[in-house]
Amino acid sequence: MLATLLTALILTAPPTPIAATPAQVLAAVKDAKAKAVVVNIWATWCIPCREEFPDLLKLRQAYRDRGVALLLVSGDFGSERQQVVDFLAEQGVDFPTYLKSGDDMQFIDAFDPAWSGTLPATFIYDGAGRRRASLFGKSSYTQFEAKVLEVLKGD
Amino acid sequence: MWMRAVLFGLALAAPAAGLELGATAPKADVKMKNVDGRELTITEIAGKQGTLVIFTCNHCPWAKAWEERIAALGNEYAKRGIGVIAVNANDPKTNTADGFDGMVERSKQRGFQFAYVVDSGSTVAKAFGAERTPEVFLFDAGGKLVYHGTVDDNAENASAVKQHYLRDALESVATGKPVAVAETKALGCTIKYY
Repeated sequence: MLATLLTALILTAPPTPIAATPAQVLAAVKDAKAKAVVVNIWATWCIPCREEFPDLLKLRQAYRDRGVALLLVSGDFGSERQQVVDFLAEQGVDFPTYLKSGDDMQFIDAFDPAWSGTLPATFIYDGAGRRRASLFGKSSYTQFEAKVLEVLKGD
Repeated sequence: MWMRAVLFGLALAAPAAGLELGATAPKADVKMKNVDGRELTITEIAGKQGTLVIFTCNHCPWAKAWEERIAALGNEYAKRGIGVIAVNANDPKTNTADGFDGMVERSKQRGFQFAYVVDSGSTVAKAFGAERTPEVFLFDAGGKLVYHGTVDDNAENASAVKQHYLRDALESVATGKPVAVAETKALGCTIKYY
């Protein structure tokens, strides 16, 4: 019984977020070898981020088989890593995610110089790692899906 | 001029959203309720050497992380001819911690020796194009925007700061010198407009 419970906990626990610079996140975009990659920058304390989170997971679930990958990058402070892990666990995230590392301004400009730094922010890349769309602020499932479909069509 | 553009190319390459450098403060005559109960405007706060407008709030972890540094800078440069005003443009309906009582408490707790006002309707924030908390706008003695952006390059750890963007800009303005790095960015909470 205890062994079953422990196995279940291990299977559902999210991997510890990987500290990553923007260059490392962008390398992961290419390494995903996907047709479209959705990069979402979020934080545990950010209410709109938490609100749109389930839609991102739903999108990943719906389009995984069509070559869509989701990279989640937390903008939380390093000292808040446990809150990040707890939230990912609550959401049932069982794939690798990232924790922002390094200078904010370099981080922001690496994704999109037009981004002011407000959270959440979502960037959609094509299979070659080219940024094809930026969504600033909270977005809906329909908005995410529309941008992903545009990239899939053009792939 | 060319050399200056090259030297500060990084800041020029990625302009932030919002009011453009060289602009004057919009909605400067809008009255805003201060934590001491007075109705104040940016025009009334303006200092002889310059004016610092800080969009901030009570609940945002980024704003809280920089709060002691903002208090220290605001208090120091208010004594050196810079008019300082912190503005809360968040609709408290989205987070009750951003209400007026919370502002009064926070101002006392942090020892703000400058105004902390309510931008009811987010009128001033919208006119500035301010999007996040904290976000600062620094005007020179002539009322022109000379610095827009963040406080420094490390919200989480004050002792690990390498770039004191706001302090450097304030020092330049207080001494009548040009600001070297005029636009910076950082992660932050969105302003919860009314």
